[in-house]
Amino acid sequence: MSAFLTGVALFLVLNVAAGLLRVVRGPTQADRMVAAQLFGTSGVAILVLLAEAGGEAALRDTALVFAILAVVVSVAFVKRGWVRKLQSAPVEDPAEGGEGP
Amino acid sequence: MTLPPDLAGGWLVSLLDLGTGILVGVGAFFFLAGTVGLLRFPDLYCRLHALTKADTLGLGFITAGLVLQLPGWNAGLQLLLIWVLALSAAATVCHLLASASLQAGIRPVEGADEEGEGP
Amino acid sequence: MTLPPDFAGGWMVSLLDLAVAVLLVALAARLLHTRNLFEAIVLFIAYGLTLSLAWVQVGAPNIALAEAALGAGVTGALFLNTFQRLAERSREGSGMVDPEHGDRGPEAGP
Repeated sequence: MSAFLTGVALFLVLNVAAGLLRVVRGPTQADRMVAAQLFGTSGVAILVLLAEAGGEAALRDTALVFAILAVVVSVAFVKRGWVRKLQSAPVEDPAEGGEGP
Repeated sequence: MTLPPDLAGGWLVSLLDLGTGILVGVGAFFFLAGTVGLLRFPDLYCRLHALTKADTLGLGFITAGLVLQLPGWNAGLQLLLIWVLALSAAATVCHLLASASLQAGIRPVEGADEEGEGP
Repeated sequence: MTLPPDFAGGWMVSLLDLAVAVLLVALAARLLHTRNLFEAIVLFIAYGLTLSLAWVQVGAPNIALAEAALGAGVTGALFLNTFQRLAERSREGSGMVDPEHGDRGPEAGP
């Protein structure tokens, strides 16, 4: 059972490594943040699996921190768009529209 | 039905192991589906949709599978808490990123398969 | 393939170690060589999370917790904030650096 759970954790690590291709290929900044969100959710799953496979209950606390973390980073990313939106009334956004599909 | 205690325990444990294997396998499949969606979908909004929903469902399956292995309700409650936290986190992040991107001017991809359901 | 019972799952653990190590090195290489500043920030966050997994694998869950919270979370948020300041400054000023599009200059790479 322990080998099976560790194998699933290995599969999830490879999954995340494939998802990081999206970070490299953009095209917009929000796409890269989405990949960071993938890392957060997969990290929670990996840590929970490893906690069960290795019999270490402390890893579940680390999984809780992983779950919080994607929210913190995404809010820090989103805040800049809203702040700029509030500050500059005329909508002249060179930020991401030009790069988008 | 009366079984000798060691046999009863072994029977139950192997059944729980089977349940854990099935649930964790299904969860891993949903994670794979989320990553394929992240890599293959044409649009930021499609990718957000695929990633947050499929991954959260996969995490739910994996947590449900692992709860079967735990000795008591104590750690199971912690796993449930982790899943609820990840669920709300994914929903929040999805909404924030989608609305911010829409305000920043990224338009969703339209057309190409609108024949059937479009108004 | 028969393994001793105490080694059950050991080879899978070493495969996981190998995957985490290769991912760490690949992330670090890409993070250092990319020309896109925003991509570097997101890769740094991913690097912090992978390093946290590595701490878990060497049996230090407390350091993994600190690495995830501080190394990836707080530092990543601070980097994003700095990126915002850089973008505002380059929009107001002379436009030497354009971190909005990530490139350091007109000759920048891919």
